[in-house]
Amino acid sequence: MTKAIIPILLASIFFASCSKDKSTGADTSAADFITLKTTVITDFVNVVAVPGYTELKAKAAVLNTAVITLNASTTEANLTAAKTAWKDMRSTWEKCEGYLFGPVDVDEHDPETDTWPVNFTDMDALLADNTHSLSEADIESLTNRALKGYHPIEYVLWGKKTLPQTAVTLSKNSRQKLYIVSLAAALKEQADELYHSWISTGGNYAKVILTAGTAGNVEFPKKQDAYLSLLEGFTGICGEVGDSKMKEPFDAEAAQAGSGAQLVESPFSGNSITDFKNNITGAYNVYLGKFNAQGKGISDLAKAKNTSLDVKIRAKFEAAIGSFDNITKPFEEAIVVQRIQVAQTMATVSELATLLDTDLRSFIVTNITD
Amino acid sequence: MCRKPGDYAETNYDPRLSGGTYTVFDETSGAFGHELALLNAHDGRIHKLGDNGIGQTFVTAPAPINSGLGPIFSNVSCISCHHNDGKGNPTSGLVNSSLLLRLSLPGSNANGGPLPLPGFGLQLQDVGTFNVLPEAKLSISYTTKKITLADGTIISLRSPAYTLSNPYIPLPAGYLSSARMAPPFFGLGFIENIAEQTILSFADENDANGDGISGRPNYVYDPMTKTRMIGRFGMKANTATIATQVASAYSQDMGITTSIFPTESCFGQLQYDGKPDDPELPDSILNAAIFYIKTLAVPARRNVTDAVNLQGEQIFKQIACSNCHIPTMNTGVDVTLPAISNQRIHPYTDLLLHDMGAGLADGRPDFLATGTEWKTPALWGIGLFQKTSGTAFYLHDGRARSIEEAILWHDGEAAAAKNKFIQLSGTDRTALVKFIKSL
Repeated sequence: MTKAIIPILLASIFFASCSKDKSTGADTSAADFITLKTTVITDFVNVVAVPGYTELKAKAAVLNTAVITLNASTTEANLTAAKTAWKDMRSTWEKCEGYLFGPVDVDEHDPETDTWPVNFTDMDALLADNTHSLSEADIESLTNRALKGYHPIEYVLWGKKTLPQTAVTLSKNSRQKLYIVSLAAALKEQADELYHSWISTGGNYAKVILTAGTAGNVEFPKKQDAYLSLLEGFTGICGEVGDSKMKEPFDAEAAQAGSGAQLVESPFSGNSITDFKNNITGAYNVYLGKFNAQGKGISDLAKAKNTSLDVKIRAKFEAAIGSFDNITKPFEEAIVVQRIQVAQTMATVSELATLLDTDLRSFIVTNITD
Repeated sequence: MCRKPGDYAETNYDPRLSGGTYTVFDETSGAFGHELALLNAHDGRIHKLGDNGIGQTFVTAPAPINSGLGPIFSNVSCISCHHNDGKGNPTSGLVNSSLLLRLSLPGSNANGGPLPLPGFGLQLQDVGTFNVLPEAKLSISYTTKKITLADGTIISLRSPAYTLSNPYIPLPAGYLSSARMAPPFFGLGFIENIAEQTILSFADENDANGDGISGRPNYVYDPMTKTRMIGRFGMKANTATIATQVASAYSQDMGITTSIFPTESCFGQLQYDGKPDDPELPDSILNAAIFYIKTLAVPARRNVTDAVNLQGEQIFKQIACSNCHIPTMNTGVDVTLPAISNQRIHPYTDLLLHDMGAGLADGRPDFLATGTEWKTPALWGIGLFQKTSGTAFYLHDGRARSIEEAILWHDGEAAAAKNKFIQLSGTDRTALVKFIKSL
């Protein structure tokens, strides 16, 4: 995964000794700023990251239960409940993508749960092959990630646009039901593992971040390294939304009418716009130091030294998040009938990513040197 | 008064700039994934398209997008093996595995390359699409041996053994095999742009200078240009261009046909799908992926003024590591890509083949490379492997778990350097390793 980076100018390092931008800076003392640098890291762990994964774990359990219920009693109400639980978990996951580093990256939870596209040919073959029990162990043993995770569950719950799933159609397909019961259990397992990889009684990745800049910390020898990882994480997802998730289908549709929709992620549920918006919201959360509760974030550091930069970044985040509301159709339709609105959103998200990657990066490198 | 200009002193250069002027300053897990500066808007867009392309998961044909996986393959996307644009794990057959096994029969083909193993080709595909049998399953086991250094420190080396089981047809007798772990992507545009004469200037095939090191280039047949070219990529310098390397990976690793390799990797085998869908990857995506690889920036060195690192750098030269891991060279001119053109870079390689002794030998020749020869791998970015991969593994097959282990595997032409390493004091050894990790 790549993105453009402006080479760090030595000048910016040499000017680092300036305590604040007098024209725009607030009154934070040097001592307060030092404290704040630690607080932001602590709050990222305790207010943003761990609560995010805690919520993901809880919502995975809800989805798992909803799918089990749907399997036992395949009614429209239970199908709707499972769809709601899927969207609910998806909402949290997309926000958690604002910090895609650490165990989610190294232990590959992302590709294990969120691989796109679905391998329909193999999925049809799997569902038709009665030698596969479709038990959770059977699903776990599959080496093809395109048969696991959110999107195959989405496909079974919603069906294709031309052949929507209903309680009646699903009740006639016990193999599909078995399949999503195991998929939801495996998804829950992944969410549990991800949560445990952060907490002190598990893998304790939290400690790796909390001890950034202390002796023996290989991943983050300096606090600055932790801050740059945060920056890479939330800048990266902004870039991915603007330059890839939205732009690929948008450009494909321009090149050949009808081809864009095939490239849209989450097309069965029509949830793509919500996914994108939650991605940017997740990035904003990291910047602000919040998930549900509010802590201290990089925003507070920026505010302390360069208020105008913080104001600019928050305005751009809010403009980007708000711009999704101008797209009123599902994304696969919007790239055909609301191209102006989609283009405006992509431009705003792209401007946001550039702002973060240039001005905020420079701010971090200049002001967090330890 | 006229004065003849003197040499521009080495100390005037910034030692952090491993990848020239547009070296990237990032020490995070994303350090290997940065676009070179100076790309114009169009090129930047192609780079991003390539980035997207290498992240795509391929699926079984027929499919509306990313169609054509397999039917036999090693993994489903480029990044499944090259995690964070970097190295991977020395495991096989798992979803995150990054190790593959090259196969061949003794002898060479009409172009001087290895002879495909009948029914298996030149690479084991150990995964199949649904209900398609893998060619075989690969299992890896290690035996350990202990090396005692002069100061009494004991280091354990693990030696891999590869076993093939459950082949879809009986394996022909007498086959040759050689394991490879996925290497990082970055910096390859610079490597491709080093003038052939520069590489040849490092060569000393008959050891004329008597230093015990006799590096020589590999020359290989390039299937795209259909010419014989100097090898630059691959662990034995068995591939000449990024284009061929990328297309070969699509073909052999994922079973995706391209205009460069339009025939399925399993053509002629029992499980060949026979679908008239080749090439499965459009040239637009192939070219973007090639361009992406070509335009990934090199991360900067860290802590270059640290006294211990400076001491380690001296030891690196003193024990002759730098005779093969050549620190500095210039790239050639490429007017289309100023960021890789005429750049002073620090890859720490000579791109030449060296006899590395029996311990590392795979016994599998590849063009001019013998069964004991390996290309000197670049060392730039090596200190970031732990960040980009989670756990760092070294050498061509990931057998080494530390820099110290990797050095101790050196033998053959590098035996003298290895023996000097063994004799180092603990302080000097620590300094050397610290320096290498700063690269």
